[in-house]
Amino acid sequence: MAEKNTWRYIYNPDGDATDVVAYGASVAEGRIAGKYQLSTTLVPDTLIIQRSKEKGIIAGADVSVDKEAAASQKIKIARMARSGRNGARPIGTIQLSELTAKASRKFQAAEVDPDEPAVLIYTSGTTGNPKGAMITHRNFHFQTTSIVKGFIPFSHTDRVIGVLPLYHIYGLANSLISSIYYGACVVLMASYSPQGLLDTIDKHQATILPAIPSMYQLLLGIARIKSRSTKIPKSIKYCVSGGAPLPLAVIQDFAKAYETNIMEGYGLTESTSSVSINGVDGVYKEGSIGKAGQGVEMKVVDDDGKDVPNGTEGEIILKSTTIFKGYWNNKEATDQVLNSDGWFFTGDLGYRDDDGFFFITDRKKDIIISHGYNISPREVEEVLATHPKVSEAAVVNVPSQKGEETVTAFVVPKTAGDTENASTSADAPTARELVEFCELHLATYKRPKNFIIVDSLPKSATGKVLRKELRGNVEDQRLIDKKE
Amino acid sequence: MFGKHKTDGELPLGLPQVLEEVVHRFKKREAIRFENRTYTYQEMDEESNKVAGGLASLGITKGDRVAMMLPNIPEFLFTFFGIQKLGAIAVPFNTMYKGREISFILQDSGAKAIVCLSNFSNLIQEIQRECPELKHIIITGQRTFVFVEPEGTVNIQMVFEKSKFESAEKVFYAMGEAMVDGFKKLGVEDAWYSHQGAIRASGKKLATLLLNEIENLYVANIVTYLQQMDTNPLFKVLYVPPEIKEKALEPMTSVKLETGKDVSLDEFQDIMVKSFSEKFAVNFEPGKLTRDELIAYEKNRALAGRI
Repeated sequence: MAEKNTWRYIYNPDGDATDVVAYGASVAEGRIAGKYQLSTTLVPDTLIIQRSKEKGIIAGADVSVDKEAAASQKIKIARMARSGRNGARPIGTIQLSELTAKASRKFQAAEVDPDEPAVLIYTSGTTGNPKGAMITHRNFHFQTTSIVKGFIPFSHTDRVIGVLPLYHIYGLANSLISSIYYGACVVLMASYSPQGLLDTIDKHQATILPAIPSMYQLLLGIARIKSRSTKIPKSIKYCVSGGAPLPLAVIQDFAKAYETNIMEGYGLTESTSSVSINGVDGVYKEGSIGKAGQGVEMKVVDDDGKDVPNGTEGEIILKSTTIFKGYWNNKEATDQVLNSDGWFFTGDLGYRDDDGFFFITDRKKDIIISHGYNISPREVEEVLATHPKVSEAAVVNVPSQKGEETVTAFVVPKTAGDTENASTSADAPTARELVEFCELHLATYKRPKNFIIVDSLPKSATGKVLRKELRGNVEDQRLIDKKE
Repeated sequence: MFGKHKTDGELPLGLPQVLEEVVHRFKKREAIRFENRTYTYQEMDEESNKVAGGLASLGITKGDRVAMMLPNIPEFLFTFFGIQKLGAIAVPFNTMYKGREISFILQDSGAKAIVCLSNFSNLIQEIQRECPELKHIIITGQRTFVFVEPEGTVNIQMVFEKSKFESAEKVFYAMGEAMVDGFKKLGVEDAWYSHQGAIRASGKKLATLLLNEIENLYVANIVTYLQQMDTNPLFKVLYVPPEIKEKALEPMTSVKLETGKDVSLDEFQDIMVKSFSEKFAVNFEPGKLTRDELIAYEKNRALAGRI
C-alpha cells in the first residue's frame, strides 16, 4: 500500500446530478492532461463527497428517459459521456467492442450436431431451483419450419416487432429465430411502454406482432381513448398472443380497432415455444388454446397415463420434434416430465373437444386442495375478473403462521396503477362486495376466505402470475448474504 | 457433416449453418432495425463473426456455455449468433434477475463467460466469487443509471494514481474496508463488504462500489444510501411496467432503515473521511478544483446537462 501521503478532499454538499458526473470527470481529465502537457500544477489524488440538492438521474448514454416526465417530476437528468475505446472501463471486465475490434469479420462456423443443445433456458418451477432446459438446433428448426409455418407465412418482406424479451423462449423462438429463418427484419425494442410499442409499429409499418396479453390490452386501451391525433396503425397482418389467456372482448375489439385478428398460442420452454394455436385462418374458439400445431401430437391423459375421452379433464401431454432434450445436469427432473416414449408431461390440466380444440383448465400444481375438495384457482379468478370493479385476480393457498392454509384472493382493482385514485379509494371493491359476489357465483367450498387488494400481481416476463411469490413463503432470491 | 444436413431441401439444421445460408440469400436486406440504425444480414453476420472470433480468443470453444444478460439490442443478436457459430451454448436469462438467481444459473450452467450490460458488471463481479467457472465478464451498452436524492443518497468519488496499489483487488478491498468501518461507526453493525461491488446489510445493498480505470488512473464511484428513497418519481421518467417494478431495482437498505437514526451529511462525511484516511493510509487536505479543472468542469457540466 501507499506510503502516507496527502490527498485533496473536495466537499460539495449542495450540488446536483450534473456535478456528480462533472467533478469526477474533470479531476480525471486534469490528471491525464497534466501527464501529457507536463502542467506545472500537478493535480493530486482526490476524494470527493457530494450530495445533490435536488432529485436527479445520472444516466448512461443509452438510457432512454422521458424528458417531459423528468421536467414535471423536477428530476434533473445528467448524461454520462459515451466512453470510447480508450475511455474509462470497469475493472475486471472486457468491453465487447474492444474484444470484437481485434477479431476478423470472417469466421468459419463450427459444424454442430443438431441434437446437441444450442441454448439453455432456465425455467422456475413451483418449487426448487430453476432448471436449464436444453433446446437443440433441431428443436428450433422444427418450431420454425413446421409449427410457425403452419400459422404465419413469414417472408423476407415482413417486419417483425421484437418487443418480447429475447432471453425468453417465446421471444427467442418466435420473434427472433423465426424472423431470421425467413430473412425478415426484426424491429428491436430494448424497453417497453404501450405508447412506444404503438409508435414503433406505426413508424416501421410492422407486419407481425408476437406479444403477450397485457400488451394487447394496453394497445386496445390506447385505441379506445384515442384522440384525433393518435394514429392506429393498420399494417399488422399477424398478431400472436401467448403466455396467458386473453379475454374474448379484447380479441374482438382489437380486431375492429387494428383490423387484424389475434391468434392465441400455447407452448412451454420445454416445447421450444408454441405447440398449438387458436384462431388460425379466423377459426377461433373462445377460451381454447387451439388445435395441435403442424407435426405436433397432443393428447389428454389420466393419472395413469391412459388416454381420456373428449371432454374429460386430464393432463395435456405432447410429442413433437420441438420437445427439449432434457434439463441440464438434472436427469431426475427430466425423468419426471419426459417418458421413455418421448411424451412430455406439461403439468397443465385440460380437455379436448370433438373438433380437436384443446382447453386448459389449470396448472396441475396450482390446484388447491381444501378440506378434501379440489379447487381450480383459475376458475375462481375468472369469476372474480367479471366483477365490474376488478381488473384481475389471483387465488392461492396462503399458509398462516399456525401452519393452516387459507384460500386467499389477491385482487387488482380497475383503478390500480392510477396514482390519483389509489387502490384504497371508493372505486376499489370492498371485501364485503367480493364475498357477496362469490356467494352469487361460486360453490361454497370454492369461495376464497380472505381477500387482499393489491396494486398489481407479481408476473414473469411473459405475464404469468408468479403464484409462489403470492404465497409469501419464498426466500427473496435477489438478496446476497454474507458467507463465512 | 451433421449441421449441414437439410431436412426438406430447405434450410440446414444447425443454427450456424442456417445463418450462413440466410445471409447468402438475403445479404443486403435489412435484418435488424433498432432506434435509428439498421443492419443488413451481411452486417449482422460480420458482427456475429467478430463476436465468435473474440470469444474464441478468450479460449471459449465448442460446447462451452456463454451466459447472456442482455435486453433486446443488436448486441443480443450478434452475441447469440456468435456463440452459435462457435458451436457453444448460449444461456440467455432475464435481465431483471438479481443476486442468487444469477449466481445459481452461472454455477449450474458452468458458464465460462457472460455478456451483459455495463450497468450489471458490478453485480456480476459481486457474485463471481461464487462462480469458479466464470472467467470473463464482457460488457456492452451504456445503460447505467444512478438515482440521486437530497435526503437519501451521497456520492463518493475518488481519482488516484494506479501505481499506488498493487492490484485493483486491493483497491476494492480498501474501499470496502473503509466503507464498512464508516458504516459501523454510524451504527450499522452487520455491514459487510461483498466482493468487488457492494456493501451489504440484511442481504440488501447499502452502497454500490464501482471502480474504473482510465490510463494511469483509478476512478472510483460509490453511491451510499442514508435514507430509503422514494423511487416513484424515478419510474415516471424511466418506464417500467407496474408488475415488474419491484424487480427493476436491487433490494436496497439504508443507514436509517438499519439503525433507525437520521445521520446528517456533515456527520457522515466526517466519519467517512476519517475512515478512508485510515484504510488508504493517507491524509486529507480540504481543497478546491484547480483553474484547469474548473474549465474541464464547466465543459463536463454542460455536456452532462445536454439531454
